[in-house]
Amino acid sequence: MSSRALDGRRVLRLPGGMQIGLANLAAALALTLTSLGLGAVSLSWGETRLDLLAPLDADQAFALYQVRLPRLLLGFMAGWSVALAGAMLQSLARNPLADPGLLGLSQGAMVAIMVLTVLAPGLPPAWLPGAALLGGLAVAALLLALVRGHAGGLAVLLMGIALESTLSAVTAVLVLYTPPETSHALAGWMAGSLALADWPRVTMLAPWFAASPIAILLLGRALRLIDLGTPMAMALGLDAARARVAVLIVAVLLSSAALTAVGPLMFLGVMAPQLAAALSPASGRARLVLAALTGGLLVTAADMLARNAGTDIGLPVGLVLVTLGAPLFVLAMRMRLFLRMSSS
Amino acid sequence: MRRGFPVLAALALALCLLLALSAGESWIPPSGIWAALARFDETRQADVIVIYQRLPRALIAMLAGAALSMSGAVLQGVLRNPLASPSLVGINAGAALAVVAGAFLLGLEPRAQGSAALAGGGLGFLASLGVARLAGHAHDPRGLALILSGAIVSMFLGGLTQALLLSDPALRQDYLGWLGGNVSHVHAERLADFWGLAALGMAAMLLLARRLSLLALGAEKAASLGIDVARTQLLALGAAVLASASAVAICGPLGFLGLVVPHLVRPLTGARFGALLPGCALAGACLCLLADLIARMALAPLALHTGVVLELLGGIAFMLMVRRFYLRGAEA
Repeated sequence: MSSRALDGRRVLRLPGGMQIGLANLAAALALTLTSLGLGAVSLSWGETRLDLLAPLDADQAFALYQVRLPRLLLGFMAGWSVALAGAMLQSLARNPLADPGLLGLSQGAMVAIMVLTVLAPGLPPAWLPGAALLGGLAVAALLLALVRGHAGGLAVLLMGIALESTLSAVTAVLVLYTPPETSHALAGWMAGSLALADWPRVTMLAPWFAASPIAILLLGRALRLIDLGTPMAMALGLDAARARVAVLIVAVLLSSAALTAVGPLMFLGVMAPQLAAALSPASGRARLVLAALTGGLLVTAADMLARNAGTDIGLPVGLVLVTLGAPLFVLAMRMRLFLRMSSS
Repeated sequence: MRRGFPVLAALALALCLLLALSAGESWIPPSGIWAALARFDETRQADVIVIYQRLPRALIAMLAGAALSMSGAVLQGVLRNPLASPSLVGINAGAALAVVAGAFLLGLEPRAQGSAALAGGGLGFLASLGVARLAGHAHDPRGLALILSGAIVSMFLGGLTQALLLSDPALRQDYLGWLGGNVSHVHAERLADFWGLAALGMAAMLLLARRLSLLALGAEKAASLGIDVARTQLLALGAAVLASASAVAICGPLGFLGLVVPHLVRPLTGARFGALLPGCALAGACLCLLADLIARMALAPLALHTGVVLELLGGIAFMLMVRRFYLRGAEA
């Protein structure tokens, strides 16, 4: 408690953050088991757990291993990546509304993927992640060039919105050129869907997901300093310009990889960090981890609803997220406002 | 320039209209158009094309262009925000959601969808204002939070609209084209249903023009000149929502006219609303006709949606405007 005089709030609140983190983990486990059990072929809780020991019949095994497990993993990893990217971008733009979708980074990756799909329909899918990364990075570079010298603030977000809407018009033009046989699958992907989840997609996203803790470890301190404002960060010995570029690149990598796998998860990058912050006002690495965990959980929960509620084909998870997300987001905003007012 | 502008704009509009009626898959010379309008003959193919396809399409484009541009000018004036426009403060998205929800959930007739669009546009706008208040910075002199929250609210409403569309594959096909901002002759019935509402909104904005000009001097000055500030603002915003929501009810959300046109017209007419609003109406109608022409001709035989063309051109204009209003200012 000796550092309390220096940074009293953090010392007081970190245990709370850890509690929330543990509660999050417990929720993740419960959600995992429930999600694996629910669906067209239902499995009891016992079966989903003990399946590791006792074999299931063919239907159940297929549902569990080929459908639900990849879907669950893919959803969690994609949610984790997008939420993490959102949390990083929010620090960068110093605004709680920054998001890979809103800034046009997702649209850039999407345009790249669609250009490849249209121009080279026979291309192996292994090329797509690379294209998405390049597309996202190109938009990030364009954004930086357009707002040169004004790395923070709302103008960056406005420029991002402008880029986003221009690129979405480009996407609409490209849709016209997609061959009919691919356009149907593309429509599902463009809405953000886990219906296409399979093991190849899981293995595609897994390396990025696995590398993200390293990014959190390396960039967590820099982000906390950036949160304090550029002059303060530089006074504390941070090369602010380089740190910003590094954070931006990592955010683009994470969100583009997730986009390739499941399509755009609109709004998640704004929503998850907000919710996490409303539950526990952590900073630095803890903030990033909590935001990412919340993102993964939100997608898992939303996909459970998307699979089991509604129409027989199921809704795209992206739509469920947006629909549930906005009220949650407003609620989280209110809570933060309330906390800020009551703490000051 | 200022005095001559209305005449020039009207001439340009006439020229655009002529071009829109003539150009297309088959070129119909002005004499052919005159023949179709004066002595309509159902057996002549050119007459049928002009009267049943190109004319309704051109009328829709002109009405939507004029209504959205005027609404943009009024929103920018009342909200004192250079980026305010129906597509950026949630009106378009709200109206679109209301029309789709009315058709899918309640089975509303097209005529009743107009009132739904109106309510939806108003709610979308209020929601954007609300989120802006929640998320806004304490220090936000240029009202940027409103534009951001408008984008967020539009995203949310758009997501709901997409979800509704997926729920009914049969109706989906009908509304997918409309939602893309599709100026098309198949919406001629909608034009017949809603032109009155749009005209009412535009007329109300024109009537308020003098008071809006005074309001632009600042609320206190306007009040000292005997203007009821709150009432004028409310009426003007209501009229802007009315005009743009009925434009959306006709041909779906068309972005960016409301954002860009006032900025193009203002240097030519000055900031007085009495001159600005008619100028916006003429220039907006012109631009929308041209965009529609591009949509029809650019990638023929594939037809683009007019909304896509506007979004593409408008997005680039939007970038330039952000640079001009927010980045240039920050450097100085």
